Amino acid sequence: MSNTSFAPEPKKKSTIKTLREKANTRFRDTAYPWLIPLSILLIAIFLYPIFEIIRISFTDMNLVEQDFSYTFNSYIQLFSLPGFWPMLGTTGFFVFFSVAFQLLCGFVIALLIVRGEGLKLRGTVIVRTSVLVAWAIPGVVIGVIFTMLYDETSAGILNHFLSQMGIGPVTFLSDPTLALLSVTLANIWRGTAFSMILMYAGLQTVSKQLVEAAKIDGAGAFQRLRNVILPTITPIILVNLIIISIDTFNTFDMVMALTQGGPGSSTEVIALSIYNTIFQEFNLGVGAATSIILLLINISMTMIYLKVLGKKGDPS
Amino acid sequence: MKTFTKYLLGIGVLVVLTGCADVSADEEDTLTWITNTADSPDSPDEDTNHYVNENIEMIENKYGLSMQHDIHTNNIDEAMARLQEQATTGRAPDMALIDGFTFDRFVDDLQPLDELFEEYEMDINDFLPFAQDVMVGDDGHIYGIYFNTNIRNIFYDETIIPEPPETWDEAMTISEELVDQGYEGLAMPLGIDEGTAVTSLWPMFWGQGGELVNENGERTFGKGDNYQYMLNVFEAIDQGVEQGLIPQRMATLGKENDLNAEVAAGQTPMFFGGSFQTGTVEDILGPEFENWEVAPLPTLEDSESTSTIGGWVWGIFTEDEEKQHAAFEFLKNTFVGKEGMGQYTSMRGLQPVRESVYESEEFDQGPFGDEYLEILEEEGRDRPASLEYSSISLQLQTAISEVVSGRKSPEQALDDAWEIATFGEEETE
Repeated sequence: MSNTSFAPEPKKKSTIKTLREKANTRFRDTAYPWLIPLSILLIAIFLYPIFEIIRISFTDMNLVEQDFSYTFNSYIQLFSLPGFWPMLGTTGFFVFFSVAFQLLCGFVIALLIVRGEGLKLRGTVIVRTSVLVAWAIPGVVIGVIFTMLYDETSAGILNHFLSQMGIGPVTFLSDPTLALLSVTLANIWRGTAFSMILMYAGLQTVSKQLVEAAKIDGAGAFQRLRNVILPTITPIILVNLIIISIDTFNTFDMVMALTQGGPGSSTEVIALSIYNTIFQEFNLGVGAATSIILLLINISMTMIYLKVLGKKGDPS
Repeated sequence: MKTFTKYLLGIGVLVVLTGCADVSADEEDTLTWITNTADSPDSPDEDTNHYVNENIEMIENKYGLSMQHDIHTNNIDEAMARLQEQATTGRAPDMALIDGFTFDRFVDDLQPLDELFEEYEMDINDFLPFAQDVMVGDDGHIYGIYFNTNIRNIFYDETIIPEPPETWDEAMTISEELVDQGYEGLAMPLGIDEGTAVTSLWPMFWGQGGELVNENGERTFGKGDNYQYMLNVFEAIDQGVEQGLIPQRMATLGKENDLNAEVAAGQTPMFFGGSFQTGTVEDILGPEFENWEVAPLPTLEDSESTSTIGGWVWGIFTEDEEKQHAAFEFLKNTFVGKEGMGQYTSMRGLQPVRESVYESEEFDQGPFGDEYLEILEEEGRDRPASLEYSSISLQLQTAISEVVSGRKSPEQALDDAWEIATFGEEETE
């Protein structure tokens, strides 16, 4: 540095060269070159498709013609047609109750397993494994399984048992309200497994000494849960909430196999609507615009969770 | 960094060159084709599987080509949209099985087959008139080979229903009697799938003189008389459901084959379905199938009897002459030649589309062959090839499902379907 700083006038060229070398050396010595392959990969795999979807959402593209023009019409059409707001309402119901019960059921099952392990009860591993199996079943298969369960003829499993008790047949899938409840219930069953796994992992991090100390201090079971266990696992709950919310918003396969969005459009959630718009109506523009709405909803929900629960979960 | 860039470029060039070399090799030695699972070498039916594979082997040996097949997705609208996208971008397979009513959309990208028809002594006039209409383009050239067809009809148990209904009112009267006897009423697909449109909506709509689209392919189902015709269909079905003569759960069944489970339950002596269900219904019912008959679909008052035709057409996309020959010979031997069509449609319980096949030794027409042929010739009508069709169909399937489930009145459901289907068109009219 000193040589360069006090260099006489005639050596100006070499000074510039040295500065360039330094600049090059600095870049080479940084972590940036190592990040280039990953950055290219991320741009190609994540950012470029998002950019493309945003671009397509401002066009009138369809799946079978190559000509298109740029327009706001996709968004205007989306917000002004009769089906959009009811579809958002259906999605809201489906997501809210799915997430709430997946979280609750996952937590209760995880708590029971941890308690069972604490009491050295047999079968906790079997319960854990069974739940994991439920998590591994593909959505389409779950849809088919629940179709058989909810079948409204005498061949339907639930209706068969109900008829033996003199009840039914219950219109699980042909009544619009019951159909939405049935689909939500199937999704709760599907997502509880994953929620339980995360909750179980979270409960493993709760210090036994801390719980013991709270017990000695006279805290009851509910107080221990509220003041010791829940605050400790808040970061896990946050992660769980984000993942299962995004998962539920993106749910498409199970609903497709179970009701195809029907009867009417009573169980048409946003992801299924995107599929129908693109692959049945061939309307890429409106499909992409709906995808952008879904993306914005997912981002907003994540931000809200981070804001509300993030602070609580911050160990500092 | 320079060395790194050189390596990167070098690898890139190698990858591109290797890729190109592979593609050229593939293009020369492989005949690519796309079909349905049931009509493929992967068919779950052992006989079909064996038959198709045997013919593939023969062509591979004769032409020194490898036949590489792909399977359409179960959602036919989606499958046709994907194929069309491939065709318009020049990435279509060498030959493809195309849903009959969409065939017109592919004509610009398909190869004319007139010379091959002549060379392989296939007579276009032997094909049924409706099939010829699809196979021949506006320029008079042949672009496809119709493979098989199906129609929509009513299935009924003759021991319970001695005379089939000819009108909708008669169908409802019979349905009422069935319900009184403890059976289910009239079963018909009314959920969200194409079966609902082609079986439960279009025949009664067309029978009154309704048109889904005009000659330019633009939607017309919600305009003028067409609106009233469609509303009549919606109201008739709505009344049937309201009176308990059509089970409400039909709102969850969108495919004709969904009704097979209803038949299996033993409580459904009358249903609207497709001719392609015959074999399955026979398997389900066993010896009881002898009591079952088929008849044309009932009509609304002052209407003609109409039945939606379905079916598949083979088309050849490749410009390579040798591959065209290989593809045509394979299709002729396996599916569309007189012998091939006779053997294959008998094996699969399908309806052939060549007049000579109906008289040939190879063809076994099954229990209702004559009835189906009569319905096909007298009442058969294909769906419009318009690009708007899929959207129209989806909106009206959803609309009738809304009506049957009680979410909307017939007027409201039809108005909403029209509003969604024609959004943004008002300005241009």
